[in-house]
Amino acid sequence: MQLGFLVDLHLCMGCKGCEIACKVENEVPLSTWRLRVKYVDVGTFPETRRTFTPLRCNHCENAPCERICPVSALHYLDNGIVNIDKERCIGCAGCVMACPYGAIYIDPQTQTADKCTYCAHRVASSMMPACVVACPVQANIFGDLDDPTSNISKYIQTNQGNVQVRKPEKGTNPHHYYVGGGNVTLNPLASQRPDGHSLFNNITTLPVGGHH
Amino acid sequence: MAAHEILAATQAVVTLDVAIPGTVWPWLVTVNMWAKSIGTGVIFMLFLLLRKYPEQAGSLRFPTVVVSIIFIHIFLLFTLADLHQPFRMWHIFFHPHWSSAITVGAWMATVFVGLLFLLAFLSFIKKDNAAFDKTLTWVTILAIPVTLYTAALMSQCTARELWQMPTESAQMIFAALLAGSATMILLSGSKLGYEAKKTLGVVLGLSAFMSFTLYMAEYIFGPMKAEEVAFTLEYIKGDGPYTVMFWLGQWVAYLLPMLFILLSRASKSESILKLAAILALAGLWLVKHVWLMIPQLLPMS
Repeated sequence: MQLGFLVDLHLCMGCKGCEIACKVENEVPLSTWRLRVKYVDVGTFPETRRTFTPLRCNHCENAPCERICPVSALHYLDNGIVNIDKERCIGCAGCVMACPYGAIYIDPQTQTADKCTYCAHRVASSMMPACVVACPVQANIFGDLDDPTSNISKYIQTNQGNVQVRKPEKGTNPHHYYVGGGNVTLNPLASQRPDGHSLFNNITTLPVGGHH
Repeated sequence: MAAHEILAATQAVVTLDVAIPGTVWPWLVTVNMWAKSIGTGVIFMLFLLLRKYPEQAGSLRFPTVVVSIIFIHIFLLFTLADLHQPFRMWHIFFHPHWSSAITVGAWMATVFVGLLFLLAFLSFIKKDNAAFDKTLTWVTILAIPVTLYTAALMSQCTARELWQMPTESAQMIFAALLAGSATMILLSGSKLGYEAKKTLGVVLGLSAFMSFTLYMAEYIFGPMKAEEVAFTLEYIKGDGPYTVMFWLGQWVAYLLPMLFILLSRASKSESILKLAAILALAGLWLVKHVWLMIPQLLPMS
């Protein structure tokens, strides 16, 4: 079994329901996110459009975070999920530095690394991840990549030629796919980030785990 | 395509996202690398001096080991201070994950510290120079991977394109040679003759030259090979946030020491050599800090 995720960006409308569901399900502390939706505005007025990109851990086959973790706090589950053992983590932040997707953060409450686990605890009970359940337009598709009859496998087959991963040049082999993505949505360097880029506040950087 | 050209072409602006995490590895890690360079560098220099100038360098055995022990402990202390869960450090020894450079480095540093104490015992308690020199050979060999493991760790940071293993490993070795020779110039006082100090000056000057060359190569050619490197180096170009610190570091760590070493050779002045050594040690911290910080400013998602 190899669990994977696919987000159809044609369907995502940026409602952030997945973000909130993830926060609630995993009790993600304030100022940190396991999953978030990034908005990027493209073009110049009046020819503009807004894109929405849900971003979470890519559960890479060749995960840099797993490799760099000195105590195996980050480890693979049999179903392919890259899981984290917060009791074992020493908080060296090597994984935060290694992850090319910025998907790992230091939990300010536990002072350990944390990230999306594809809701491994729910999956173990044969439930879907919280973000999948919350999505009103079924833009999040989750399932077994090894099973050709699974929804995700069929979706990939149907959309051949239009399935992307983030930063393929890193050689991480992500198990998280996008349909309808492009340079602007998937490449962080393709967009400007003016100071105060968040619509709701002017905070552009956060102290890591409230430690430094 | 230059960074600003890419942004101009896409006409894309992030209008809603979470705040970028602040500095993940702060100045504590800079001190870690700086102190380790001195801790292993003085061992390299003691090994060199004992072979080239055995009569003069004999009295430096114990002081050098003490300096190495002090700086390796500063390195370890700051490594520990940087952990968010420092009291779980023991997990590295009881749950080691051998693919991680952190694990390998921690184990090697531990053995290295043990051997340094053995050297101190052999020189101060047993006063057995033959056994000391024999052990020093193995300590010097171990000092090489202890110096290099941080480069391996940086190269394992897949997200930070700027840090590439071949370049970083060379930088680490040159930093150790620079810091080691500078410290020995300051430490040796009247124990070493002018010729021996001149040799240390040559090591200092050449390692400064090589380090400077590597940084300039990265500065000029780095943007030509990877988009992320181009974006990262923007932070030390123009009015970038680390431009001043970068050039200050290059001048203080490399260019001025090279100049002063030439001057000291021309005038046979040990004072100028000492000035070069002090500048090199101070500048090395700046250089290391800039190179540590700039890849962390880049948005990852």
